[in-house]
Amino acid sequence: MTDKILKKEEIEKFYLDLSRYFNFFAPTKENGNIVFKKITDPCEIIFDFLNSKVPPKEIVFPRMETLFTYKINGKEIEIEPVNNLNEKYLIFGIRPCDAYSFNLLENFFASGKFQDDIFIEKRKNTILIGMGCNTPRQTCFCTSLDHGGHPHRMDDVDIFLTDLGDKYLMRSISKMGKAIIDKLAWLSDAQRKDVAKAVELSKKAEELIKTKVDLENIAETLKPHFDHPLWKEISENCLGCGTCAFLCPTCTCFDVIDENDHYNNRGKRIRLWDTCQFCIYTTHASGHNPRKSKIERCRNRILHKFSYYPKNYGMLGCVGCGRCIQSCPVNNDLRVIIHKIKNLEKEKIEVKIIAT
Amino acid sequence: MVILMGNIQEENKNIEHSMKEVAYNLLKNKEVDLIIGYAKGTIPLSSSPSFIINQKDVDNLIWDNLCHVNLARYVVPPITKIIDNENIPLKVGIVSKGCVGRSLIHLAKENQVNLENIKIIGISCNGIINRKRIEKELGEKEIIELSVMNSEIIAKGVDFVKTFFFDDYLNESCKKCKIKAPPMVSSQSNVIVGGSVESSSGEDDFSDLTEHESKTPEEKWQTIVELLSPCTRCYACREACPMCYCNLCFVDQNKPIWFGKTTDMSDIVSFHLVRAMHVAGRCVACGSCSSACPMGIDLTFITRKLEKIVKQRFDFTSGLSFDILPPMMTQKMNDKEDFMIGEH
Repeated sequence: MTDKILKKEEIEKFYLDLSRYFNFFAPTKENGNIVFKKITDPCEIIFDFLNSKVPPKEIVFPRMETLFTYKINGKEIEIEPVNNLNEKYLIFGIRPCDAYSFNLLENFFASGKFQDDIFIEKRKNTILIGMGCNTPRQTCFCTSLDHGGHPHRMDDVDIFLTDLGDKYLMRSISKMGKAIIDKLAWLSDAQRKDVAKAVELSKKAEELIKTKVDLENIAETLKPHFDHPLWKEISENCLGCGTCAFLCPTCTCFDVIDENDHYNNRGKRIRLWDTCQFCIYTTHASGHNPRKSKIERCRNRILHKFSYYPKNYGMLGCVGCGRCIQSCPVNNDLRVIIHKIKNLEKEKIEVKIIAT
Repeated sequence: MVILMGNIQEENKNIEHSMKEVAYNLLKNKEVDLIIGYAKGTIPLSSSPSFIINQKDVDNLIWDNLCHVNLARYVVPPITKIIDNENIPLKVGIVSKGCVGRSLIHLAKENQVNLENIKIIGISCNGIINRKRIEKELGEKEIIELSVMNSEIIAKGVDFVKTFFFDDYLNESCKKCKIKAPPMVSSQSNVIVGGSVESSSGEDDFSDLTEHESKTPEEKWQTIVELLSPCTRCYACREACPMCYCNLCFVDQNKPIWFGKTTDMSDIVSFHLVRAMHVAGRCVACGSCSSACPMGIDLTFITRKLEKIVKQRFDFTSGLSFDILPPMMTQKMNDKEDFMIGEH
């Protein structure tokens, strides 16, 4: 066992040692919201946080990202790739649900026939230092997920921290994590009682998660209900905004646009977050929209996460972070939606009128 | 200032009770096919717009200081049912606080709503709690229960109880609101329940803008940029706005692209300022945009200034009457044009 102790007063040292090699991202406060940002001063780090408003996926998959720039010279087009791909990133304090979501991002960007070089490079250069949740939110339901979601799940990070009050118990999980800890020779060894306390905190955190969402065989349950009136019911108060998707750690859709600088014969190709909740997401050039109302769009969000995703990648497309529940302006609670879906088997859902 | 008549919680309960009764009777007597109201949220500080067609479900309706969504947003385009291949508009009863009623009147003037199909279940509103501000001030402490008692908002967590003074923690737009219940425009469509329908009198008070107005253009710009910097372009503000009913928003136009869709500050600011200009003289200051914003941006900071300009230049307050045409729907020879080049 190579567990170490990082005292909270040693964070500055920890930061100084690691920020020489990495862009050091940590939870900090901006406009009253917790965000993962590159910090330049360890004083900016917020240690006592529930979770960030926008998930840390934005570090490897930003809201706006330049794919390449180009210059136009007559009929010649010269493409210049983005050249900051060698940068190294370290995400300090990523929560287990968000760390797990990186696997889902990899499924989308880094598997199959078409792979995303930019994401792959960035992900390869990113170290995750996870931090267990001692006080999960009321809306958290990671333990309901079949991947073994847990407020202290360690599998998806390089180094895992458990907050013991005045210090962190530090455990290396990956080879890279071990290499980093080995370099920080000044870290003290953990005592047996520290490890025991971490185990206790982990158990306590698990008990604190009161939300249980029944996701067993959800993909199977959804299969025969593509045209069920339930979709009308769950979409009727939906505003059609992108809050749920933009704050979701597993949503990966993006739009690609060219920003043309006509006067200087140059431009850049940019990708921006997009979401299936927007009406123009599926609008064809002809004007036809196969997902013409919010019924189809709400349905797509649920089916994608709980039916298509399991079919394509063998796992659910949700990590149980509860951000969509927290921030939906009309409180269209995912837990309630799943509960209604699970009830489809048991009872006949009343047909209701919908707002379009 | 919010004038409170007695206990807020008690007043809300009374309103809720009468509202349910009215809604029940409207459905029972088949005066409406559908009631749009608010249901209890699943998490503290929330409420959920609810669509009710059965009398038995009327009991799910609630009324409290967290019912923030402007329900007028759901009736444009009109809710219809298909009978014999024809779209027949439904008769809809809408639980309406002052700003919802004003929205409906304004939307009717813009020919978006046919008030003949709408029953305005008018209720008197004490103001909506600024949940984003409370959340931000509590920082990383999770609220488990929120209640209003006398003139205080009480937030309870696992290991804390914090109280906030009700008047101070209302949405900014509610603090200055004088129109608590829907204006009576036609006795046919208004069913006012509970509370007082009297609007507090007196001049509109724009003193909250004084500080910003005294700033230099550079400082003003800086304030706007800082205000909008957390924006993720999720468009919750637009989608929550009853006046943003365009089939295709200017920012979604892509043949050609009119506006940058990026999260570059220049694009974010131009989106919000242009959207604000589009709701000038139409905005009813419901604060729905601010309540919807997941990042907690107070967008009414921008629309508030427009409200003042419209009031001062055109002596117009939106959604108050049918007789006066909104300034953006009319043109008069003596309209002030001192913003035009050459008049300075």
